Amino acid sequence: MTVLLQLLFQGVGIGAVYALVALGFVLIYRATNVVNFAQGQFAVVGAYGMVVTTADLGLPYWLGILITLAVMALFGALFNLGVYYPLRNRSFLPVVISTIGASIFITNIILGVYGPEPSMLAPMLDAPGISLGNLFLDAQYLTIIAVTLALVALQYLFFEHTLLGKRMQAVSQDKEMASLLGIKVGWMIMLTFIYSAMLGGIAGILVAPILFVSVGLGGQIALKAFAATIIGGFGDVPGAIVGGIAIGVIETFGAYYISVPYKDAFAFIVLFAFLLLRPSGLFGEKVSQKA
Amino acid sequence: MKLLELDAVAAAYGAVQALQSLSLGVAKGEIVALLGANGAGKSTTLRAISGLLRPTRGEIRFEGAPIAGMHPERVVRLGIAHVPEGRRVFPGLTVRENILLGASNRRASRAQLGREADEMYEIFPDLLRLQGALGWTLSGGQQQMLALARGLMAQPKLLLLDEPSLGLAPLIVQQVFRVIARIREQGTTVLLVEQNARIALSVADRGYVLETGRLVTEGSPGELWDNEEVRAAYLGGKVTKAA
Repeated sequence: MTVLLQLLFQGVGIGAVYALVALGFVLIYRATNVVNFAQGQFAVVGAYGMVVTTADLGLPYWLGILITLAVMALFGALFNLGVYYPLRNRSFLPVVISTIGASIFITNIILGVYGPEPSMLAPMLDAPGISLGNLFLDAQYLTIIAVTLALVALQYLFFEHTLLGKRMQAVSQDKEMASLLGIKVGWMIMLTFIYSAMLGGIAGILVAPILFVSVGLGGQIALKAFAATIIGGFGDVPGAIVGGIAIGVIETFGAYYISVPYKDAFAFIVLFAFLLLRPSGLFGEKVSQKA
Repeated sequence: MKLLELDAVAAAYGAVQALQSLSLGVAKGEIVALLGANGAGKSTTLRAISGLLRPTRGEIRFEGAPIAGMHPERVVRLGIAHVPEGRRVFPGLTVRENILLGASNRRASRAQLGREADEMYEIFPDLLRLQGALGWTLSGGQQQMLALARGLMAQPKLLLLDEPSLGLAPLIVQQVFRVIARIREQGTTVLLVEQNARIALSVADRGYVLETGRLVTEGSPGELWDNEEVRAAYLGGKVTKAA
């Protein structure tokens, strides 16, 4: 029983990171109808932001986090202006290619500066964690879960209870109509990119102390997050969260009970099962268009 | 001075010429109907006015100022609200949220917007009990009422209505047009595109008849009905089909 709970705790913790990246996928997809293949790189940029500020410059953690978040916001804005905006009136394919290009570009810039060797980061908190009987709750995992919960709650309040959130939803549902009503569509998409980049950055900040920070991190997290969005139902916000946590739990249990080297494969087995049996995902196609 | 003036406006979708040198005017307080068969260029005219389509030639003036080629987000701030064909209600937002977003062209406090939304339920009483329902769950008639309410929330000087009768049962069509007449009584000018000429001319002060992007004729409802040629070609036969 203790083992089960221990695994569940760790699975939820790592799954929360996937969920944050998956949320970024979904928000950009809903606003622009394009899958952003550089979403995983957002997390890498966030993680390296922490390496630069805390390990290289020796700044305190809280300052490193603030600087990294600011950099992520700026990064999201530049990403929108450079990667999406010039192609906004084209079909989805040129934009998708453009995000893949951006992903390769970002990866190689980091590779050029930091090389392929992974960097290590000190733990975020001084306390190692909490013991509950035989159960050990690692402080970093607790932080990840708490931050993710708080972000999900804030995001819910924003989209459901503010006019700005409603405007962003309107843009994701019908851009031309939103524009006719006077909603500034370009700004709403800009905000979406900034927020999604910050979400990815937060995922990177949170995961940096428990994984080795390297450029390979982006592809790894992005693939799992992508699997999470498929499982949840593409474009669905609660689905992305549930899907992300499901992937985290599945791979943690799979690694313990079946095989550690094949840990990464379990997410994809589930992904394939969903693609074959339930391609619309857990929450997919709830809202249908009525004539 | 006319509220809205189109002067030799031409517009195209790619290589397809949709409007060729159209000139027309709408005076303050009028309901003007744009009539004609499918593909005559009626919707294109509205799209050119609201900024969804940049005219290739010609001038569009609103209150004397040129607006041709202006972005829709700016046009609506000048006081032109466009209720497009197919209602385009936001499917995943509630009725009340759809209504509130209609005021996105102007600054108003949340409380003020709430009061104005409540006033809309007086004009559209059906929407009151539906205010928490998502857009996609509404019937065609309810969506049309919602689209009108959302358009009115912009407090437009000029309301562009595209095919408000499309796909609605005759009884609902009558309801919609009663509301349109009421909108004008409250001081809003209306430019109305309709295939259902009979019902459009029942509320309009003047009508223009278009054919393949050109103006065929114009006049009062009476004049248009009395013009045998126009009636046979564009008005009479189409009525039952369009309704």
